[in-house]
Amino acid sequence: MQRYNIITGTVTHAIKGRDILLQNGYSKVRVERTAKGIGAYGCGYGIVIDTDNIANAELLLRSNSVKILKIV
Amino acid sequence: MYYFDNAATTDFVPKQVINSVREAMLHFSANPGRSGHKSAMSVTEEIYKIRKKTAAFFGAENPDDVIFTANCTQSINTVLNGTLDDGAEVLVSDIEHNAVMRPVFALSDMGKIKFRKFTTYGLSDDEIISHISCIISEKTRMIFCTHASNVFGRVLPIEKIGELCSEKGILFGVDAAQTAGILPIDMKAMNIDYLCIAPHKGLYAPMGTGILIAAESFIKPLIYGGTGYNSESFFQMPLKPEGVESGTLNVPGIFGISGGIDFVNEMNRKNILRHERRLCLKLYDFLIKNGKYRLYTPRPDTDSFVPVLSFNHTNYDSETFGRMLDEKNFALRSGLHCAPAAHEAYGTMDIGTVRFAPGVNTSEKETEDFCSALEKIF
Repeated sequence: MQRYNIITGTVTHAIKGRDILLQNGYSKVRVERTAKGIGAYGCGYGIVIDTDNIANAELLLRSNSVKILKIV
Repeated sequence: MYYFDNAATTDFVPKQVINSVREAMLHFSANPGRSGHKSAMSVTEEIYKIRKKTAAFFGAENPDDVIFTANCTQSINTVLNGTLDDGAEVLVSDIEHNAVMRPVFALSDMGKIKFRKFTTYGLSDDEIISHISCIISEKTRMIFCTHASNVFGRVLPIEKIGELCSEKGILFGVDAAQTAGILPIDMKAMNIDYLCIAPHKGLYAPMGTGILIAAESFIKPLIYGGTGYNSESFFQMPLKPEGVESGTLNVPGIFGISGGIDFVNEMNRKNILRHERRLCLKLYDFLIKNGKYRLYTPRPDTDSFVPVLSFNHTNYDSETFGRMLDEKNFALRSGLHCAPAAHEAYGTMDIGTVRFAPGVNTSEKETEDFCSALEKIF
């Protein structure tokens, strides 16, 4: 499994995204403050996720109107 | 004191609201959406739950559409300033509060928008829709109107207006200051793009709270500043909700909104409406029978009216009459109620009106005492 940081910008989108992922079977998911430099978006929030299929996770989030700024 | 000024703000605080505010003050004192430590994150999680609860209560699709503001006026200003420009035309009703009329007038004065009024006074719901249909032009970008008059209680047919807006591809904003918690509001079913709410009225939350639910994705902030994200840039990315909520949130107030929604759900909105309407009808019937009072609406026993009743004594202007009532310990608002447009429409601009607005805690006996006092004193 690989670890990804899905940078959502706002914390509301991060929490919403986390809940959607948890409801859809992703278990290793949490909301974290984004370290400056990771996404070049200054301070902010994101979803940390361990998964083998980030493309599916991204699709799931985007289809539920979660704003994704960047995935690193 | 007999308090009949619930259309300005409710004086009743349910235990659910007190407990929620207390919980926030005692256990959730960190700043949400700013830091990443456990204290801040626990408040942030609670605020998110309240966004979800609020969205569900008003039939909104997404919790991130729920924006907390300082009051309903700020919500309305955010919509009008944040979505309209380039000479866009907005249609407003003839019974709007100054919370709508003043920003619309100011934006028009600055040359950013044009506005026109549509008539509601004396028209049936179908006639209002026909009238709006006639005045919509290619330049019309938005219809923004009150759900119900804060002076005369007239409910506008927002479901039908929403349908019309949807058909014509026009944005639809609603000022629900007098109706949230009293009348059913389902944003999705009613095609409402922007809903502005005064939680300190029908949701029994503390004053200094406001809600804007923005179903449309684009809205510029009214206030710029910290948002908790993208801090390295001076450009404020307008991401809902935090991008439209610069500055620290009123956490105890927002917890109070949550308690207020619980209260309304437990009481059942229909029961609250039925109770307050019955009191208005009791007063209405008394005033008609007494003969010394002027009334301005038909008997408000239908869904076309919220429980707000305006009247006047035939011998006094409303301010004088309001002062006399205050001396007898009856708290009613008099004057123009910050809604000169409505008074112009109803022909009461010169004298204003006295407004009876009972609350969920107003008793039958209090209303009877008021009627008796009006009988004896005046």
